[in-house]
Amino acid sequence: MTLLLTAPIAAPALAAGAYAAFGWRRGTAWLGAVAAVALLAAAIALAVHAVDAPRTGLGGLLRADALSAFMLIVIGAVAVPATLAGPGHLAAERTAARDARRYGVLTQGFVAAMALAVLAASLGVLWVAIEATTILTAFLVGHRRTRNATEAAWKYVVICSTGIALAFLGIVLLHFAARHAHVPSSGSLDWTQLTARAAQLDAGVTRIAVALLILGFGAKAGLAPLHAWLPDAHGQAPAPVSALMSGVLLSVAFYAVLRVKVIADAALGAGPARTLLLTAGLASLAVAAALLLAQRDYKRMLAYSSIEHMGLLAVGAAIGTRLAVLAVLLHILGHGLAKSVAFLASGHIGRISGGSRIDAVRGLAARAPLVAGGFGAAVLALLGFPPFGPFASELGIFRAGFAAGLGWAAGIALVLLLLVMGALAARTGRMLLGAPPDAPGAAKLPAALPVRLPRADAAALVLGLLGCAAIGIGLGPLRTLLDHAATVLGAH
Amino acid sequence: MNHVLYVRLLDLACGAFLLAGVLVLWRRDLAAIVRLFAAQGVALGCLVAVLGVDAGDPEVVGLAVGIGLLRAVALPWLLRRAMTAGGAGRETDPRVNVAASLMVAALLALLAYAVTRPVVALDPAPAVRAVPVALTVVLIGFFVLVTRRRALSQVVGFLLVDNGITAVAFLTTSGVPLIVELGVSLDVLLAVLVLQVLTARMRAAFGDTDLDDLRELRD
Amino acid sequence: MSAAVSAAVSAAGAVGAAAQVVLVAAGAPVLVGLMRQVRARLEGRAGAGFLQPWRDLRKLVRKEAITPDGTGPIFRTAPLVLAGTALVIAAVIPVATTASPLDGAADLFAVAALLALGTVALALAGLDTGTAFGGMGASREMTVMALVEPTILVSIFALSVPVGSTNLGAIVTSTLHEPQRVASPASVLAAVALAVVAIAETGRIPVDNPSTHLELTMIHEAMVLEYAGPDLALVEWASAMRLTILLGLVANLFAPWGIAGASPAMLPVALIAFAAKVAVLGGALAAGEVFMAKLRMFRVPELLAGSFVLALLAVAASYFLVAP
Repeated sequence: MTLLLTAPIAAPALAAGAYAAFGWRRGTAWLGAVAAVALLAAAIALAVHAVDAPRTGLGGLLRADALSAFMLIVIGAVAVPATLAGPGHLAAERTAARDARRYGVLTQGFVAAMALAVLAASLGVLWVAIEATTILTAFLVGHRRTRNATEAAWKYVVICSTGIALAFLGIVLLHFAARHAHVPSSGSLDWTQLTARAAQLDAGVTRIAVALLILGFGAKAGLAPLHAWLPDAHGQAPAPVSALMSGVLLSVAFYAVLRVKVIADAALGAGPARTLLLTAGLASLAVAAALLLAQRDYKRMLAYSSIEHMGLLAVGAAIGTRLAVLAVLLHILGHGLAKSVAFLASGHIGRISGGSRIDAVRGLAARAPLVAGGFGAAVLALLGFPPFGPFASELGIFRAGFAAGLGWAAGIALVLLLLVMGALAARTGRMLLGAPPDAPGAAKLPAALPVRLPRADAAALVLGLLGCAAIGIGLGPLRTLLDHAATVLGAH
Repeated sequence: MNHVLYVRLLDLACGAFLLAGVLVLWRRDLAAIVRLFAAQGVALGCLVAVLGVDAGDPEVVGLAVGIGLLRAVALPWLLRRAMTAGGAGRETDPRVNVAASLMVAALLALLAYAVTRPVVALDPAPAVRAVPVALTVVLIGFFVLVTRRRALSQVVGFLLVDNGITAVAFLTTSGVPLIVELGVSLDVLLAVLVLQVLTARMRAAFGDTDLDDLRELRD
Repeated sequence: MSAAVSAAVSAAGAVGAAAQVVLVAAGAPVLVGLMRQVRARLEGRAGAGFLQPWRDLRKLVRKEAITPDGTGPIFRTAPLVLAGTALVIAAVIPVATTASPLDGAADLFAVAALLALGTVALALAGLDTGTAFGGMGASREMTVMALVEPTILVSIFALSVPVGSTNLGAIVTSTLHEPQRVASPASVLAAVALAVVAIAETGRIPVDNPSTHLELTMIHEAMVLEYAGPDLALVEWASAMRLTILLGLVANLFAPWGIAGASPAMLPVALIAFAAKVAVLGGALAAGEVFMAKLRMFRVPELLAGSFVLALLAVAASYFLVAP
């Protein structure tokens, strides 16, 4: 079992080692994609094994239950298209060999750290893994070494590291409460033990700890009020890295919030965590709506859309009924796939238009039909149109909200969501439709020449969209896994 | 160690820890700020060592040595290297003036005291009673982070937060499990390394480390 | 029997109180002379000798009393108030004995209020002259006082928390019984805070420079610029006493050894010990002044705010950290 549990971490870690040893060359370029496929395969195998009973390994350090397995699948599902697009991106940017090697090591290390985060049995190891993602991605955000990239990297490291330091303070206090509830020292941060003993945890200390944990992990998940790093970092990182960060890193941090909420609900009742999550969620939605209305940069537009979706997830988690939790989990997967496709496409758009300003892109559909189609479909998915996954999950969250007597919150969220939708749709429409520009700035690109994509890049876009559409149409075997994961999260 | 001596040493270490944190707000000279940070690292190491000796736990004493080396030697060394690489040596114009920030520090101490009441109520042992001191340092660290304009001052603010949290961990429960503690220390070290490299890049790109120049990305 | 004992105690206390008033009154100018002498020697000058301040006072007293035109009774009574408050404080605080019959008045708040009364009187006199210098000095002095007074209160309060009394005599006695308390964080923080404000309150470098008449930098001297003759002598003498009292307070709160309780036999020892402690502190202060530049005026609130924070943290620490 230990072997299967360590495989999802080991595969990308080995790939990172290979990049460090051999550099980025012909033979190793596709190693990242291979590792991502291996991770996805291991995740599916784990899901089969761990769907009804949790499995532990590596001396109790790692544990896979249905929720971990599901999160691993999300990581794998987003990592496959993102790593497929990596070689194409580096080739198109004409990256130097040294930078390419670092890109390979850091992206694979980043994926390994995320896998460790969702497999960790203890809150402490989870924290270490999430902070490790910050450190590993810092240089990826600052990859281009420009003024803006350095600025984004600085803000990213400072805000995320201090935000997550708050979470560590929460962990310390929870540890203190746990030791006083006679949880043995070895497992005092293990969440099955914490959940089992939650009723004995001191309410006063636990309340402070939970608030700090939700605020701290919320910072990394891009929830207001500590969201300021997100648009900068996602806007400046290379497209495949943005896809990974927006698609899964936020969700992995949100996974930590979900785990904390289980303990909080058992220790304090549903009230405190619900209030915190509702506040953070609605605030994030409001921030995203306000800043999307005047957005002029399409990568930042996608980043604010991530804040919006994280806010929606927080609202869903706050509602907390079984339907809401199922919808939240499904939304994590759907958003991850759609957002990664959107970011990958935005990378191609950036190369066609030579920047990330919305004004500079006109009539994309005529020039690069595949890129435009991928971007448009992904944005439609993010807006919640059928047949894509987010349609079903958003519907689920709102239905659960009205059913659970939180109609006011669901109503506010719905209004904000409509605002976001309008802003996003108007801007995307302007970018994709209409005649190609004849402006002097775009003259150096022959407007008539259609842009061709490398096959792997095209495959990445299509695969992601197909996955997103598939889960919108039918869940199949995923349904059982989601059911068990919702049970792990205490939704009955 | 007899109880009176233990409490006295504990109190002294906590006092020195807090004092170093407050003095960071007072000084403008970056070299002095780094020295104060190193002094705080020594105080933290002593604090952990006192707790370890009192509990008779060699593991904690070992950790105390490690923490002392990391926070009083390694991190200040890194900071000093970042400083000598160039740039102005003074916090010229903090967003909140020094007299006001000192007053804020006093308020933060009271806030920390109010917030930690449930913690102290759960276990009023001498070590836990000192948790407000550690939390005050955390809050002062946040304040430094928000109000200072130099890249290096911000890093010191981040490290003050981290020192404070480590102190809370040891004062409450003699530390989180060993593997977590190691992971945390490694993460902090790497974060500072990353920030150091970014500082160098920032100097190359902006010609300065005044963070007010970081205003290209905004909506 | 017990009546006799208490009578003997109060008699000894009365003798002690009288002795400490005499010591402070006579010794204060000598302390100032000592400090000037230390400075002179460190700067390579011969110096005028310990007794020079007394000679200056004698010279001033012999002159004719002159008051500027247009000044009122405030200007004339201020030196008396200043000197009077200084003498009262010298009588009540534990300088040489903790058994003063006026012990009840040696409350922290009473002493701080008396100190403030003297300062306010002098500041009013400075305003009363109507000159630019007087007003400027008064306004600066009030700025300093607004930070100094709370700091004195708060830092001594921090020391009083473990004792459970705000009586200075009780604080000193308790420190005498538990000397290890001096090393507690609350006590150390309070000591630093009190030392800073003692320097500021008595108008020494780095806050004020007592030997300058440069308009940009002086605080205290600006207020007394219009005084002449016996009035000036009174102001100078009172200022010297205030310096002595504050240094003595710092010395006895943190190193009370040698102070006499109720026994008259201990009194000479106590007086000598006190003189020695104050002389050492004064000498150190003077030596420090030689090597220190005066702070710019706008940095002064920073220094004083810092000492206030230290005092507040001392109180916080005395509540946060358990006493063993």
